[in-house]
Amino acid sequence: MTAPTTQERVSHRVPLWRDVVVLKWFTQVVLLVVVLGTMGFLASQAGDNLRARNISTSFDFLERPVDIQLSEGIDTHPDTGARALWTGMVNTLRMSIAGIFFATILGVVVGLARLSDNWLVRRLGSMWVETLRNIPLLVQMVFYFSVLTTLPRVGLGTGPINGWLHVSNKGISMPRVFIADGFYQWLVVVLIGAVAARFVRQHRQQIQDETGAMTSPILWGLGTVALFGLVGLFVHPVFSWMGPVFGRIADLLDSLPVIAPQLGFSAIALGVAVTWIRRFLSAHRSARGHLSLSDDDWFRIVFAAVASLAVVFVAVRWTGLSAWTLDSGRDLFQVLADKFDVDGAARPFDAMRPDIIQKGMFPNYGKSGLTMSIGFAAVFFGVVFYTSAFIGENVRGGILAVPKGQSEAAKAVGLGRGQILRHVVLPQAFRVILPPTGNQYLNLLKNTSLAVAVGYSELVQVGSTTYNQTGMTLPVVAIWMLFYLSCSLTISVVVNWFNVRMRLVER
Amino acid sequence: MTDATAAEPTDNQAMEQSRDLSGARDMIACEGVSKWYGDFQALDGITATIKEQEVVVVLGPSGSGKSTWIRCINRLEVHQEGRIVVDDVELTNDLRNIEQVRSEVGMVFQLFNLFPHLKVIDNVSLAPIWVRKKPRAEAEEQAMALLERVGIPEQAHKYPGQLSGGQQQRVAIARALAMEPRIMLFDEPTSALDPEMIKEVLDVMKVLAQSGMTMMVVTHEMGFAKEVADRIIFMEEGQIVEQGTPQHFFENPTEDRTKLFLSQIL
Repeated sequence: MTAPTTQERVSHRVPLWRDVVVLKWFTQVVLLVVVLGTMGFLASQAGDNLRARNISTSFDFLERPVDIQLSEGIDTHPDTGARALWTGMVNTLRMSIAGIFFATILGVVVGLARLSDNWLVRRLGSMWVETLRNIPLLVQMVFYFSVLTTLPRVGLGTGPINGWLHVSNKGISMPRVFIADGFYQWLVVVLIGAVAARFVRQHRQQIQDETGAMTSPILWGLGTVALFGLVGLFVHPVFSWMGPVFGRIADLLDSLPVIAPQLGFSAIALGVAVTWIRRFLSAHRSARGHLSLSDDDWFRIVFAAVASLAVVFVAVRWTGLSAWTLDSGRDLFQVLADKFDVDGAARPFDAMRPDIIQKGMFPNYGKSGLTMSIGFAAVFFGVVFYTSAFIGENVRGGILAVPKGQSEAAKAVGLGRGQILRHVVLPQAFRVILPPTGNQYLNLLKNTSLAVAVGYSELVQVGSTTYNQTGMTLPVVAIWMLFYLSCSLTISVVVNWFNVRMRLVER
Repeated sequence: MTDATAAEPTDNQAMEQSRDLSGARDMIACEGVSKWYGDFQALDGITATIKEQEVVVVLGPSGSGKSTWIRCINRLEVHQEGRIVVDDVELTNDLRNIEQVRSEVGMVFQLFNLFPHLKVIDNVSLAPIWVRKKPRAEAEEQAMALLERVGIPEQAHKYPGQLSGGQQQRVAIARALAMEPRIMLFDEPTSALDPEMIKEVLDVMKVLAQSGMTMMVVTHEMGFAKEVADRIIFMEEGQIVEQGTPQHFFENPTEDRTKLFLSQIL
């Protein structure tokens, strides 16, 4: 009795405005049009306004000489705007990488301290967290800076270890190890070592799995790399033949017509789209060969196809892009050819001791040592301490999020404290700790821009000096945004990759 | 409190499972064990011994200290007074003793407590590899044999989250057995399971009991207690109220409190 009624209901046509499928497609398309339209409108408005008020958005200043002196970095007297900004970027990256590394270590220590059985350690941990996360980072940086300025002034023949290590109100200066002409040849040896280390590690792991003996495979792998590095110091000139090879590749790229990269781009875009769609379809095909795609799935397929066609269109229409690709490819291999084209005796590394130079009345550090200014130290301590407080809380939360039953079960099968932490608690805590800690890494990167307050020459400081001199505010800001965006996205991608790997499998 | 030794052996013959264990050696000996959580006394002078190969079921209303007691036996809880000796090793603050006892006592928990980030086979082989230092291949072979024994070898390469409750609890039993324990403790192993899964876990436990394992089981499964137990211990308010064979316990209990308990559950 019920069957015919059901039949009737199904066959009844749904009006368009109530059809979920139609509504879904309609909203997707409308949203896409609105977003693209708004972006286009804003861009054309901005362009019109800028033209009307005669504001230049050209990037020519990158090529022109500037008069900037940087506190520290790969080039303290850069000759062009591009070089100045590049030095600023390197300083930002230096600070961020060092900061992320040490903030992570300190954060883990702080987090574990707050969970300690020891009352005093636990209290110290909470004091650290509560103090540091409740004082603005900028205030902390200025505080560290003003404390460090009370250090003695630079003088000839001073420092804790005269001629090797100096500490003063200009910073710390110590011997510098730097890469020399033979470095790139040496790097090839180390890369071969890394490949060898992989096999050594696998081999040791296999022995461990078969016999149960502790073979410390990771240590062996690292040791292999170290061994290759050591031997490489002496044998690296054997790779000097790579210079001419790179030269050949550069010549080849130089002789290619513009059509080649155009074809290449198009082929890659179409190939990626086709394989992606095919893989997508086969992943959604059920065992009996039926294909059931949701509307979102169709949207993804259409989007992939359209995007690949757009890439083809751009590649064909914008010949400048292809020419630029060829040129920069050629330049890259030319640079590589030069790097490998050194005489056999060139050492991979060199070192210099710090020197103090007398200029007028004020002694100062010269170029030959590695000098970290107190500005660097102030920013470094600032971001590391501040971020460690937050990471510490993440670590504590992550470990507390592992149910007590887990460590009880691990105890009950006889695992020791360290083993429980390593095999049971940390792997589970890690997946809770990771996402918020990724956010802290992003914050740390962005917080380094506060260094402008204590005169550490990172990208924002260099950039603002540059636009003060050239008036090119918008292009500099565009470069800032592009730089921070690409750094942040890199961190996000890495963190997400770990996240996916650590996900628990359920159902 | 009755010192229940009087109620012991002679009338064993009636129960099928009953065995004469009077000559067997003591595996677990508790002497005046007491424990407090703040002002609340969880255990109040527990004195009992468990013989080798004996299967003891601990019954009692919730909050009577059953779980606390068996958790004291592998030192997941620390007792504050009295002595606990497990297989001739006394549980003190000596870490070496604690680890030795733990590696000889297997435990199965109410909520399984499997390691969710490890595959079933790795759950089982983890402790043999890291505590017993067995080669991985050998540990995995043993793990497969144990999974076979609890009836789920086909789930070996899945994660615990992909298994049903009953399957998870059987993995937990295999994990405990992988350390080749001489004693198994069960802390309400079936309380978190759907009715149709209880049987599959109890069946595994029965086979284990028949194989001669010394077992201490906290449970509410009266059928299991009647069929498998050599002795039943009834607890209330941290004390042992009555103990004896299943026949004695279910058919002519002496204590009023026991009678009340039985009238409520049967």
